[in-house]
Formats: sequence, structure tokens, C-alpha cells
Amino acid sequence: MRPDDSSAAVLAPAVPELQALKRQQVLRLLLSNEFGLLVLILVFGVAFALLTTGFLSAFNQFTLNRTAAINIVIGYSMMTVIVTGGLNLAVGAIGVCAAMFCGWLIEGLGLPWPAAVLGGLGLGASLGFLNGWVVVRSGLHSFIVTLASMSIFFGMMLFITRAASFRALPPAFAEFGRMKLVGTVSPLMLVAIAVGGLLVAMYRFTALGREMLAAGAKPEAALLSGVRVGRIFILCHMLSGVLAGIAALLLVARTGAAIPSMAGQLGQDWLLPAFLGPVLGGTLLSGGRVSVVGTFLGAVLVAMLTNGLLLLKVGEFWVQTCLGLLLLVAVLLDKARRSYLARRRML
Amino acid sequence: MSEPVFEARRVSKFFPGVKALQEVSIRLAAGSIHALLGENGAGKSTLIKIITGVYRPDEGELLLDGRPIALGSPREAMAAGIGVVHQERNLIPRFSVGENIMLEHLATQLLRPIDYASVNAAATKWLDVLGLHLDPALPVSRLSVAKMQMVEIAKALSLRSRVLLLDEPTASLTPHETETLFGLLQKLRHDGVSIIFVSHKLEEVQEICDQVTVLRDGRNACDSRSMAGLGRQNIVQLMIGRSEQIPDWAARHTASSAAMAIELKGVATPFGHSNIDLAVRRGEIVGLYGLVGSGRTELAKSIMGLVPPTAGTLSVDGRPVAIRDVAEALHTHRIGYVSEDRKGEGLILIHSVLDNAGITLWRRLARRAGLLFDSAVRRDAEPFLRKLEVRTPSLSQLVGNLSGGNQQKISVAKWLAAGVRVLIVDEPSVGIDIKTKAYLHELLRELAEGGTAILLITSDMPEMITLADRIVIMNDYRIVGELDNSRDYVPMSEGIMNLIHAIADAPAAEAAQ
Amino acid sequence: MTAGLRSYLETDWFGPLAITALAVAVIGGLNPSFLSPFNIQVLLLAIAVNTLIALSQMIIIAVGQMNLAVGAIGGLAAVCFAGLMQVWGLPPVAAAVAALAIGLAAGILNGIFIAVTEISAFVITLASLSVYKGINLGITRAQPFYGVADSVKAFGNTTVFGPVPWLMVPTLVVVGLIWYLLNRLPLGRSILAVGGNSHAAELSGISVSSTLITAHAISGLLAALAGVVLVARLQIGQPTIGDDWLILSFAAPVIGGAVLSGGHVSTSATVLGVAIVAIITQALVLFRIDPFFVQVVLGGLILWAVGVNRWREVRLRQGPRRALR
Repeated sequence: MRPDDSSAAVLAPAVPELQALKRQQVLRLLLSNEFGLLVLILVFGVAFALLTTGFLSAFNQFTLNRTAAINIVIGYSMMTVIVTGGLNLAVGAIGVCAAMFCGWLIEGLGLPWPAAVLGGLGLGASLGFLNGWVVVRSGLHSFIVTLASMSIFFGMMLFITRAASFRALPPAFAEFGRMKLVGTVSPLMLVAIAVGGLLVAMYRFTALGREMLAAGAKPEAALLSGVRVGRIFILCHMLSGVLAGIAALLLVARTGAAIPSMAGQLGQDWLLPAFLGPVLGGTLLSGGRVSVVGTFLGAVLVAMLTNGLLLLKVGEFWVQTCLGLLLLVAVLLDKARRSYLARRRML
Repeated sequence: MSEPVFEARRVSKFFPGVKALQEVSIRLAAGSIHALLGENGAGKSTLIKIITGVYRPDEGELLLDGRPIALGSPREAMAAGIGVVHQERNLIPRFSVGENIMLEHLATQLLRPIDYASVNAAATKWLDVLGLHLDPALPVSRLSVAKMQMVEIAKALSLRSRVLLLDEPTASLTPHETETLFGLLQKLRHDGVSIIFVSHKLEEVQEICDQVTVLRDGRNACDSRSMAGLGRQNIVQLMIGRSEQIPDWAARHTASSAAMAIELKGVATPFGHSNIDLAVRRGEIVGLYGLVGSGRTELAKSIMGLVPPTAGTLSVDGRPVAIRDVAEALHTHRIGYVSEDRKGEGLILIHSVLDNAGITLWRRLARRAGLLFDSAVRRDAEPFLRKLEVRTPSLSQLVGNLSGGNQQKISVAKWLAAGVRVLIVDEPSVGIDIKTKAYLHELLRELAEGGTAILLITSDMPEMITLADRIVIMNDYRIVGELDNSRDYVPMSEGIMNLIHAIADAPAAEAAQ
Repeated sequence: MTAGLRSYLETDWFGPLAITALAVAVIGGLNPSFLSPFNIQVLLLAIAVNTLIALSQMIIIAVGQMNLAVGAIGGLAAVCFAGLMQVWGLPPVAAAVAALAIGLAAGILNGIFIAVTEISAFVITLASLSVYKGINLGITRAQPFYGVADSVKAFGNTTVFGPVPWLMVPTLVVVGLIWYLLNRLPLGRSILAVGGNSHAAELSGISVSSTLITAHAISGLLAALAGVVLVARLQIGQPTIGDDWLILSFAAPVIGGAVLSGGHVSTSATVLGVAIVAIITQALVLFRIDPFFVQVVLGGLILWAVGVNRWREVRLRQGPRRALR
């Protein structure tokens, strides 16, 4: 047995231990992903402000937080499935499908835009449900299932729309995308913050969120504790679908049109931002641990780096290389941090 | 005794805060089968890991043929002639028998083409040594567990192993396969191989071993003595440091008129159970005894709705019910299951103490819109953590950082907090120390006094006889008998073993007629 | 069922072969132009390139991982091949060797990162995908290289005999080599052993990390070769080469019975998988079905194939003893 068993009192540590505990908590906070990201955001923010012209300009800040908002929600969308220990390669495909469906509901059926938005998100949820249902029922890994479904969803979308865009959207969309609050803040960012708040509340303060984390961390144990793991996993995929839909609709608001190629071939362009946010933010890829705030900050950092590097005239093509390197460095640092904490039994 | 082939001399191994082994010795003679025994947590697996090169001893030395050796890795141990057959299979499933046996030799020359005819011929040579008639071209994934084990032994022999360590080799074998394995081991002993046999089944140890080393609390309870003259009781005494004594508790009166809490009639399951009759009354502790692999855990999982029964009736509180999943078992029928596999199924190690203890409560405590607050969970779960004396710096500590005993307390506490009326407890004292174990026993009794129906699954005979009011014996997925517990160890244990062996021997007796 | 037939049914190549034969018969019957020499040549051209892409992924599946960067490596090698000829005027052979070396190096880098850090191959190759793709775009500024040597162009659009294009030659050589590697050479057997049970492989003296690096090196080399061959076929160095390889690279090995957790792949069945995909794609064009539908069919094929593989796996594991235990 371990020595601390005898010294630590039952559930109530003695005073010196309490101090040690506090020190540990402070250290843990300093080593947390969220804190690290905040520091990096500040450091790069100051550096870009000094090195470039126009980084702090109201217009640049506005574009920056508009781009960041979309990447944040894409990150959430992947995060909700990473919680299960799986992944969802189809985030981009689902997002585009939802946006295109919304566009069709408006232009094809003439629905008012709020109903169309709900319809688009509904389609996102349904496609997520299909993914989740196949993963749970077949027992196959979500990687291969969502790899296949991204091809199917995207192909169906092209097949049905004939790859034509919906450009005659109500002005409400474009206005929402262009709107500036307090000079610099885009309402898209407020959406990202609100969605993040809801996710935090769900994971912390609802039985459903707790069950998602438990089922993701150790499905066998959760199952034997009365959690309906299959149902929960399907819900995680549905949530991911809805969030992918929200991200795509934000993108529609920014560009003013629903375009089949808005997430690249098969929606693959979303994959990197989708993983960057959660991985930088410290969401455990093996499932069961999540950081909504970390995902948020991670996506903000990525958007800021992209923006700053472009202002530094690095060339838009090299930015992708930098982001790839950033992901590599981030996972390496995260691994080092975790093994440090694990050695000190603080994780 | 002849010069030992391999010897561990006064080896010690320390982990942070734990003395896993203290000055333990073992001497292996050529041509012998040496039993390595000890309760869970006695240090057996640490010693095995030292012998097979996974750990280095902190003190003491290892000698091969009288010369000191250092084993830095499992590979070095194998090169030195120490072969292991582990519980988990160490074969490449899609490769052929021959290639698996010869893999070691093939891996040395990465670019020399493989001549499968000669690989198979060489493998056949080793299979012949064991008297095994297996097609070396067959993929091992097609073999039974027993055959795979034999292939592993052949592989170890092909590396010219002189010491062969078998870790629980019979755990998943049928009696017939076990006999075949024993025949083979005797043949190897005759050929001069020194075999270490690790097993929980004392009958097997008595049948086949000629020497024995027993560990208790990380020390030698006996060091490489002859089995001659050692009876079962003597071995047990060595293992637990006293003869198997049953605490002198006041006899419990469970009225046979108490209401049925749970009752199975003619239940069959997809696992292969058939015609299972089992009943537990309110306030009663019913033991379900059987050897490893007799189907007890599987029955528990079937009751919990994980793999629902295919036939028969399951009644809770006298009403026939169909339980389709664990959530229903817990929330509708208030049945709980403490898993034997604490780390795999019982707890979520990367989550906090509170989240683990509260997981069974979430659904019940969730308010409108599913809102759930830690304060509510703490209010309902903390009293049970206190009652069980869980030692943790805080409720937000990760369970993975606690000791085994504390983890086990949490995995029991979460069911107590859920307020279950039927509790199925599977191997509750695996990996926990004696004090915690005694405490757990008192707690289970207390629970039963309070009216909870308890179905106790354990392979620990003293535990069974200590706790159970009635003992139901299961063998090969069937109920083979039932005994009222007299709390008198010797007659009870004999009675139980007789019931198991009467069935196991029956086919043999039929064949003899 | 006779024992002989059953043993055929249990091989990986029998099912795909039967489907290929059936597809050729049915489509050829419905539309005889499917079997015209020109059509067969188009089919073989697609198979030549796609086989290399599929094998590049297959070798990583064999070791129990995945390589998202197959397309990015192929694309980078392709633009380097074309770029070296156009910008530096290197002779085609030298440019090809350099492009293959770049692919090899990219694969080795992937392998080293995965083996040393023990971070999942998915994350590492996702990161390197973006690095390699970024370098590709940085070099080309998203514009194609047109200066491909005439000899390369000729190699890309002439035939050896009948409808068999020259491009089939490197592919056939590679298929033979990979088959030999995975079935006869201890190096290839090590890759499968690590994929099948890495702990057991390690205990048998196989170095898991160097095996991983080798597998990724081979994967990078094959992806680069696919890129080079594709430049010959397209006659220009497109920076978008490789963008659409991901789905295909998984589809063919999986149709060929590859087990995604590693340890079991079939070279011949993977080639048949490539053929099936090519035939179906071609048929969609021939019957004037929307070309967008190809994606749907590919995804459906993957799902169907992994479903069948899983069913076979489960059946295999249910040995002589009780099913669910």
C-alpha cells in the first residue's frame, strides 16, 4: 500500500497537506493547457502588434474574430466526438450538407430563414445520428465509418445539388456576417462563445454531459454503472453534426452564400482546424476528458497565428505548413507536460 | 538436492512506498516442476517479472548455473534460457504455427528470404519433442487456447529454454486439456527442464509439482521445499499465515420466510448457461462458488441485462421481469454489480473520486432539463465514502492515483450510494490488504442485516465460508449443488470440492464403464 | 460444400475476384463498348496509378496504423518531379530519383515521429499532411508546372502492347516486390508481426520502432512513385495531385480484406480492390450516371467491405469452443 494512505486523513487533509495541495493546484493551473494558451495568445498578440502594421486595427480584429469564431465551432464539433475516444472525419462534409440544405430550403422551398436554419441543423443532427448509429451498431472504429460517410454525404450533396451554389440568400445572413458590435466584435464570435458556454454547462452540470465523459473514458465501466453507452455515443455524434451545421452556417453568414466547395474536397479542409483546437486545448484523444475553454483558446491562437503570419507576408501557402508544425509541437509539448504531471502523480 | 539451474538469492524490489519483495529466494532444480504460490498481492507477479527480466531486483542476485547474471530485459532472459508462457497469448494470430515457433530465428536476418519448407520442418521437430501432431502451416488463430499454449511452449523450447515459467496455464483449459498439458510437463521434466508452475488451483499443484515456494506479504513463507508430506491444509497455512480460520461471528438468522429478492428459474443465457435455478432472499448472502471459467461472472452479467437470458424466468421481488440493460437493472430494479475487474469495468481511473462514486446517482439526482450539481452528488455519495473510510486527499483526486484497497472501497461505495436492494459482488477482495478485506466482510454482513440481498461470487474459499449463508456451486455453466454453510472450514470446503469434482469426473467414469 | 471450395472462399482474393469477373461480365454485356481496347486502356491507366496509392496505405494498415499524408507526400513528390525538370532542367531520371527520395524522406520523418513520440499515427500524419501540402503550395504557389519532359509524356501515354500502357510496368514490378516483401522476406513479416501483436513481436526480437519507420518509409516511397507516375499520365505537375487520394487509399485495401487493426493485408486482393473501384467508376461514366455519384459509391464500398471483414473476423474468432466466451 502507498505511504500516503496512512498519513492522509479520511477525506479531510491536515493543514500542512492542505498547503501542499494548494501549491500543487497552483502548479497544475500553471501547467494547464488553458493557461499556456493564454500566455501564447498574449505573447503572439504583442509580437504581431509590434511587428506588423494593422494587426490591432479595428478591421483586422473584426476579420480575425470572425474567422476564429468559425474555427472554434468546428473544433467543438470534433471535440464532442473525441470525447467518446473516436473521431469524426465527416465534420466538413456534414457542415456543407447542412448549409446547402438550409440554402435549398430558402431558395427551393421558400421557407423563412429561421426555419431553414433549423432545418439545416436538423440535417446535421440526422447525419450525425447515422454516423453514431453505424459506429455503435457495427462496433467498427469511427475512423473508417466517418471516412466512408464523409464520401457518401459529400457525394450525395453534389449529386443532388449538381454542385450549384445558393447565392440568393436573404440579406439577413450577410448582414449578420458583416455586423460589427463595438466596432470590432463580430456577432459570429458571440455565437461561438454562447455555444461554448452551453457546452461547458452540459459537461459540468447535466447528467447527460457527465455520462458522455464517463462513457468515453471507459465504456465498459460506464455500461456496468448503468450508463446507456450506445445511446450516449449516438448523441455525441448527433451533437457533433449540429455543431458542424452551426459552423457551416456561420461560414455562410461570412461569405453570403452556401457553396459546395466551402470546406474543400469532401470537406477535408476542415480537418486540420477541427483537430487543432481540441488537441491544443488538451482534450484527451483517448476520450473521457474535455476542455471547452481550451478548444476555444486553441482555435483563437490558430486564427491569430494565421492572421499574423499573413500580415507578416509569410505567404498564405506557407501558413498551412506552420499550422502543421504547430500541431506537431503542441502534441509533443502536451505529452511532455502529461508525463511530468503523471510522474508527480498530479494528473 | 542437485545443483540448482536457476536461483534467485534474497532478492528485494521496492516501489515508491511499497516493499513488493523482501529478501525472497527461490531455487530451481533441473528436472523438476516447482510451484510458486501466494495470495493476490503476495509478490508473486513481482517475482515472476524479476525472473523474466521485466524488472531488475533492487537487492539480491540471480544466478544461472551458479554464476550471477543480470537480466536487463525480457529478451535477455530469453537469451539466457528462461522461457515464459504468459496468461495473455504472445503469438502473432495470423501467422502459421511454424512461423510463430521460428519467428525469433527469422527476425535476425531481415532480408534473407524465408524458406517455409525448412521453417516448417524445424518447427515440426519442436512439436515432435512435445508429442504434438499439429500442421505447422496452420494459422494459430485457428487453434484452441490449449493448443496455442502448447505452441508457446514449443516456441520457448526452440530457444533452448532450460527454465520454463508457466503463469496460470490451466486458467482457460478444459479438464481434458489440462491432463494433456500435465502429460507434456511431465515429459519435459523427464527431459531435465526446470519448470515454474504458477497456479491458484491447489489440487493441480498437488497433482503435478514436486517442489514449492510460497510467498506471503512479499516474503518467503517457504523457500523451495519438497512437496512431499505437504497437505492441502499445510499449503494454505503457508499462504495465509494461519490455518483457514473463519471469524467467530454470531450465527446469522435469515428467516427462510423472508421475501424473495431475486429468483432465477430455468434460466439459459447466450454464454452457455442452461437451466439455472438460483434465489436470494432479502437479507441473505448467497455464495456462488466455482472454479475460474465456470461461468459465474457471465451469469452475473446476464442478470444485469448486459447479455439478457434467452430462456427461463428472472423474478425481482416475486414479479417476473425482463431486464434489457444495466440502466434498467439499476434504476428500475435496484440491482447493482461490483465487478471483479476493478480497473477495466469497475472504475473510471481518469475521473475523480466523486465522479466515480456518483455515477450511479446522476440519473436519479438530475433535475429538470437534466441539470445536475456536484453538491447534490456529494451530499448523497460522501456519507458512503466516509463509512467505507476511503482515504483520499480530496474528492477531486483521480481514482487512478489511489491504492487498490481504496479503489475497491469506491467501487463498492457507488453501489451503496445508489441504494441497491440486490448487490452482486464479484471477487471483492482481489488485490486488497487483509485489513481492508476484513472490513469489507463486516460491511457486507452489515448490509445483509439491513435487508440487502447479496449474491457473492468469490474463488476465495475462506471468504466464501466466512460470509455466505448458503453456497451454490457452479461448474461449467451449470448449478451442480447447494450447501447450507456450517462455517466449519474443512467439511465445507471438502463438500464444495466434491460437488465440483463429482461432475468433472462423471464423463470419465461413464467412459470407463 | 467441398473442402476445396471452402478454402477458396476463405481467401481474401476470391470474393473480390468473383466481383471483378461478375462486374466485367455484366457491364460488358450491357454495354459492349466497356470492353473496347480504348476503354480497357483507360481502365488500366487508372489501375496503374491507384494501385500504387492503395499499396502505400496498405503497408501502413499492415503495421496497424494509418497514414493520412499519403496524398500530401504524393503531391509533393509530383510537383518536385515536374518542378525539377522545368525549373532546373534536370533529366527526367534524376528528377524522378529526387522526387522518390523526397517521398522516402517524408515517410521516414512520419515514422520517426510516430515511433519516438508514441503519439497516435493519426495526429502525426494529420500534422505532416498539412506540412507537406503547405510546402507543395509554397513551391508551386498553386500553379501547375508544365515543363514535363517529352520522354515522360511519351511514357505516360504509350502502350507496351495492345491496350496495356507503359505505366502498368512500374506498378506490376511494385506489386511483385510488395507481395514478395510481405510473404517471403522477414522484413515484411516483421511489419505484419508488429501489426498483429506488437508485444509478442518485440519479445521475439523484432524492433517495433525500426519496423514502424520502415513501413512508413515504404509508404512514403510508394506515394511518391504514384505522384511521379501520375505526372506522366496527366502530362503536367498539378499541385492538386493527391488531394483526392485519401478515400481511395483506404477503400482498396479494405475491399481486399485488410484488417484495420493491423497484421493482415493481401497484396493481390488489394489490387483487385483497386480494379473494382476503377471498373465501377468507369461504369458510372459509361452509363452516364452522375460522376458525383462516384464518391457515394466509394464510401458505400468501404462500409460494405469493413462490414464483411468484421463478420469474417468474428467468425474466425469463434473457434471450436463456445461462441460468446
